Amino acid sequence: MKREFQLGSRREFFSQTAGAMAILGAIAAQRGQAAEKAAKNPFAYDLSHLQTTDPKLIAYEETARWKAPHAEARRIAMGVDDSLYVCSGNYLTAVSHSGERGLEIAAPEPTRCCAIAKDGTIYLGLRDHIEVFDPKGARKATWESPGKKTWLTGIAVTENELFAADAGNRVILRYDKSGKIVRRIGEKNKERNIPGFIIPSPFFDVEVSRDGLLRVNNPGRHRMELYTPDGDFEGAWGSAAMGIAGFCGCCNPINLALLPDGRFVTCEKGLPRVKIYSADGQFESVVAGVESFVENGKACGPADCTAGGLDAAVDPQGWIYILDLVTGDVRVMKRKA
Amino acid sequence: MNQRPPADPPTSRRTFLRNGARIAAMTGLGALAGVVATRSTAEGWVWQIDPQKCLRCGNCATKCVLEQSAVKCVHAFAVCGYCNLCTGYFEPEPNALTTAAENQLCPTGAIKRSFVEDPYYEYTIDEKRCIGCAKCVEGCNRFGNGSLFLQIRHDRCVHCNECAIARTCPGDAFRRVPAQQPYLLKTNHAH
Repeated sequence: MKREFQLGSRREFFSQTAGAMAILGAIAAQRGQAAEKAAKNPFAYDLSHLQTTDPKLIAYEETARWKAPHAEARRIAMGVDDSLYVCSGNYLTAVSHSGERGLEIAAPEPTRCCAIAKDGTIYLGLRDHIEVFDPKGARKATWESPGKKTWLTGIAVTENELFAADAGNRVILRYDKSGKIVRRIGEKNKERNIPGFIIPSPFFDVEVSRDGLLRVNNPGRHRMELYTPDGDFEGAWGSAAMGIAGFCGCCNPINLALLPDGRFVTCEKGLPRVKIYSADGQFESVVAGVESFVENGKACGPADCTAGGLDAAVDPQGWIYILDLVTGDVRVMKRKA
Repeated sequence: MNQRPPADPPTSRRTFLRNGARIAAMTGLGALAGVVATRSTAEGWVWQIDPQKCLRCGNCATKCVLEQSAVKCVHAFAVCGYCNLCTGYFEPEPNALTTAAENQLCPTGAIKRSFVEDPYYEYTIDEKRCIGCAKCVEGCNRFGNGSLFLQIRHDRCVHCNECAIARTCPGDAFRRVPAQQPYLLKTNHAH
C-alpha cells in the first residue's frame, strides 16, 4: 500500500522543526568545542626534530624482549652466571637471558638497586640500607643505614669493597665487606678540587672499571666523573646538549654501564636514549634511540620526569640489556654485524 | 475522507491573563533561583587547575575572558632542582646558558633567573608578565622535576560560572575546589 505524505498541523510542524534545530545546534556546539580543544598550540614546546635518530648512528639491533618480573621496575644488573638480576616492586629476581625467572628475593619495601659479587653474594639496596644474601637467597646481613636522608640508587661491588651511590646525600659510600663505611667519595671539597655531585632527581649510579677507578654520573653537570677508591677526582667528560652527542635536559645521564673494553653505555631520560661513548668520552654510536621508547618519552609529565628513565646492563660478550622503567620491558640488544 | 480535528476552543481573556501571570511568576522565580545559585557557587567554590591533569596545551593563555589570563605559572621551590640548565627557562637548544633573550623559552620573559651558588640558580615568576601559556611548564615536566605548573590566581579570576578555559581544556584539568582552599599545589615529587 502506498504511503501518502501528509502535512501535519502548524503546531506539529513548529515543534518538530524546533526539536530538529535543537539537536543540530547541540551537535554543532559539541563539534565546535571539540575543535577548540584540538586547536594547535601556538606556544608548543617543539622537540619533534629530536624524536628520530639517524639510522647510520644506530649500531645495535633488538634480538629479544621480555617483561620485568614485577611492576615498578627500577634497576638491572649482571650476575656471575650470566643471569640478570632485576629490581622490580618489592622483589629482586634472577632472570635468564630469555626472560625465564629463577631465584627471587622478597623485601619489605621497594628494591632500589643491586650488585652481584664474583662469589655470587647478592647485595640488595633498599631506600636507606643494604641487605646481603648468599647465592641461594638466604639473608647473611643487614647493614646499618647511614642516615635518614640516604636514598640508595646504585651499587658496584669489587673483590673487597662495595660502592653505593646515595642520591639523598649526593655521595658515593665506600663500604668494606663487613658493612662498615670506610670513605665518603665525591662530596664538594675545594681544597681537593672536588666539584660535588648535583642530583636534581633520584638517579645516581656508580660502576668500577677494570682500571680500578670509579665511574660516576653527575647528572646536574651533564657529565661522567672518574674517582679513585680513595676519593681523588681524576677527571670528567660530557656536555649538555639536546643533540645526540650530548646529554639532554636538566639532568642526564641517569644511569651507566661499562662494556668489557671499558667503553661507556649511558642512559638518558626526557629524550629516552641509550648511547655508547669511548673510554675517554667520545660519542660513538646509539644502542637505541628516542623512537624505541615511545611510552617512556610520554612518561615525563603531567607530573614530572622522575617517573621515566632507562637502565642498562652489559654481559661479558658485550650484549646490552636495556630496562625500560615505564613499560617494564627488557630489550636484549646485539651489535649489528 | 479525512476529517479535520475539532478546532481548539478560543482562549478567554481571563484564561490568557491567568496563564500569562503564572508564566511571569515562574520565570521570575527561576531567575531569582539562578542568581542565588550562581552567587552561592562563586562564594563557596572556585575553579582551579589540577596540575596532574594539565596537558600544557596553551589554551589558558588564549581562552580566558580576561585580556590577560587569570592563569599564571607558579613555582614549587621545594620540588625544584635549582638546575643550571633549567629546561623551563632555556630554549631546548640555547646558544649559551645566559639570560640573553634568544636563550629564553618564555615568550614574555616572565621568568627571572638568579645565581644562588655554583651551580645552582633560582627561578621566580613575574606574574605581571606571565600569560599562562605553559611553555615553561612543558619544558620543566619534560626533563625535570615538574616544579613549574599552572594555577588560576584568584586575585585576578572573575569567577565565571562556566569558565571559558575549562570548556576547552583537553585534559579536563579544571575543577571546582572549595574557596577556602583555592589552590592545588605541588609539594613534593614521587621517587
